Amino acid sequence: MRQILIIDDEDDIREVAALSLEATAGWDISTACSGADGIRAAADPGKRPHAILMDVMMPGMDGPTTFRQMQLIPEIAGIPVLLLTAKVQGVDQRRFAGLGVAGVLFKPFDPLTLASQISDALGWKD
Amino acid sequence: MTALPSIVFGLMLLSVFLLGIHTLRQSSRTRELQHEVELLRDSLKRSREYAEQQKTKLALRSDLDTVKDEFISTVSHELRTPLTSIRGALGLLSAGMMGNVDAKAQNLLRIASTNTERLIRLINDILDLERMESGRAPLKLRRCSMYDLAREAVDTMATVAEGAGTKLELVCNAPRDSIYFDADSDRIMQVLTNLLSNAIKFSPSGSTISVQIDSNPNSLLLKVVDEGRGIPPDKLEAVFDRFQQVESSDASKKGGTGLGLAICRSIIQQHGGAIWAQPNQNGTGTTLWVQLSRSARASDTGSNSLIAPPSERGEGLILVCDDDPGIRVVVAEQLRQHGYDILEAGSGEEVITLVNEYAGLGRRAGDRDGRARHISAILLDLYMPGMSGWETLQRLKETPATSSIPVVILSVIPPTDRPMHAGTAQGWVQKPFNENLLLAELGRVLRSYSGPGQILLVEKDQELARAILAGFEEAGVRPDHASTLEQAVDRCLLGAPDLLILDLTLPDGDGFSLVEWLRRQPTLQALPLVVYSSREISEAEMAKLRLGPTEFLDKAKVRPKEVEELVLKMVKRLHTSTAVPAAYRA
Repeated sequence: MRQILIIDDEDDIREVAALSLEATAGWDISTACSGADGIRAAADPGKRPHAILMDVMMPGMDGPTTFRQMQLIPEIAGIPVLLLTAKVQGVDQRRFAGLGVAGVLFKPFDPLTLASQISDALGWKD
Repeated sequence: MTALPSIVFGLMLLSVFLLGIHTLRQSSRTRELQHEVELLRDSLKRSREYAEQQKTKLALRSDLDTVKDEFISTVSHELRTPLTSIRGALGLLSAGMMGNVDAKAQNLLRIASTNTERLIRLINDILDLERMESGRAPLKLRRCSMYDLAREAVDTMATVAEGAGTKLELVCNAPRDSIYFDADSDRIMQVLTNLLSNAIKFSPSGSTISVQIDSNPNSLLLKVVDEGRGIPPDKLEAVFDRFQQVESSDASKKGGTGLGLAICRSIIQQHGGAIWAQPNQNGTGTTLWVQLSRSARASDTGSNSLIAPPSERGEGLILVCDDDPGIRVVVAEQLRQHGYDILEAGSGEEVITLVNEYAGLGRRAGDRDGRARHISAILLDLYMPGMSGWETLQRLKETPATSSIPVVILSVIPPTDRPMHAGTAQGWVQKPFNENLLLAELGRVLRSYSGPGQILLVEKDQELARAILAGFEEAGVRPDHASTLEQAVDRCLLGAPDLLILDLTLPDGDGFSLVEWLRRQPTLQALPLVVYSSREISEAEMAKLRLGPTEFLDKAKVRPKEVEELVLKMVKRLHTSTAVPAAYRA
């Protein structure tokens, strides 16, 4: 079963996104409410996720910073990261794309297609 | 002999008197001069201060732009964040992912869900429009095929059309290889899907929506023809305004944001094209027209919605004359940001030299490739060392070749105090001015005063053309010449002339086909026309040749001088009527 880690500082968005992925794709979801928390969760050998869905704007370490930190940790550097952002301006999109993330998804997402968007971005066939 | 001393005394008195008058005159002249010097000094000081202010303002504005960008980005983010939770929760509930709910609750969930979607579209559209109009969404131009884009749009919208019981068809009346143009394909797709989505929304079930592509040497024309309820004549233009829907209930019923067509127009205008709506000839439905130039210019300069650009096709070349380089730099920078090209002159003498150079250049270049570059307007300071603004103005207006260039005075003197001889300037802006005032006045002058007229002569005989044109140049009219049908079409697309003189027989076609083409162009269909033919024209033929005010002349019976007189009369009539035909605003 696919394991996905959702990192977002908004409780409601974490919950809705988790519900959406569980209900539509049946994936196993874990969540974290900050970048630092997310890194700890991802590095936990027992619960290493197949992919990470991460908010961009978070207090403390934001999404891009967290992503760069993750790349320094060999155990989790290979996990594909998808950024989830409410910023739709072209300049932001280009900045995110330049980071080397696996993809950028936009808020507000459609809860019924979020799972297939993630699968598409990561090339998951199942 | 007693007379002598009294004469001497008288003479002495007289000379004292004259000397007194002279001294009085001198001192009044001195006072005048002093006053003028003071005025000049004052003006110089204010100009310098103004230049400084403007420099600070420019710096401030770029700071403000950054702040505005950040603000929009933040607001967008702040609105999207709660909407993400709402959309997610409602979406999962109304799709039954969290178990079944009863019918009434289901209906309420549907209402909440569709309106959430609408709110999201609205936020996206507002941001989109804002970004485009502030010039922060520059076009990514590349070579595109209009057919491919239309095909893609039709395919994308096919399921939506099917759902509404309507059919989409695509008709290409132009050769496939002739419909390439420079465009931002994503933006054009946005326009096409928007037009199709509108057409589907307002079309009855069972009807057909037709997308048609036409082309001519310089532009591409795309039409979306529907059989829907139509747009009332008084709303044809208003539908392109923000939040203007034909019925106020359309927003909620049809799920639109009221910004779709405003975005379409903004995109098309950015591409240097035009978009407008027209009722169908048969009385049912509407046709949305999109006209795009094949060589679209990459205009990423934002146009201020307050100030319309003077023409659809380009903002023009402005000669800025001020002896203070600081002011010239500021004015030039402001105008450039609004798409004008700038020439600078530091004195009246320089203005005269430049203007004459350009008058000659325009004529020579016009003979060669038709892209006659002429000065659209002059911004003129009044107090300058050497030749003053007044003298410069007078010189310009006295010379036929330059008398037609509109002049806007930039002066510390308020326009209400303008001396009598300032009547020949077309506009006036008092210093210190703000940017909007300057642009508004310049725009007004350019729109209302296009000189004594641009005339296009379509005549295959070079000798005859030269004879006719020579007369116009002396009369201060800007004449242009095309010797073939194709050239004539090119010239018309470069810029609508004020009047067309047309010879019926041309090497690559006849005058009839040109008139037929002109009739299909919204900006040219009301063009005043003089038809000039070597043979008799029948009544039936005349009917086919009429555009705007149309006159017919027989080559055998009239002399070039008479043509000139008639043409000048027509141009004059044209300029005294101030109403702008609706088509020109499209």
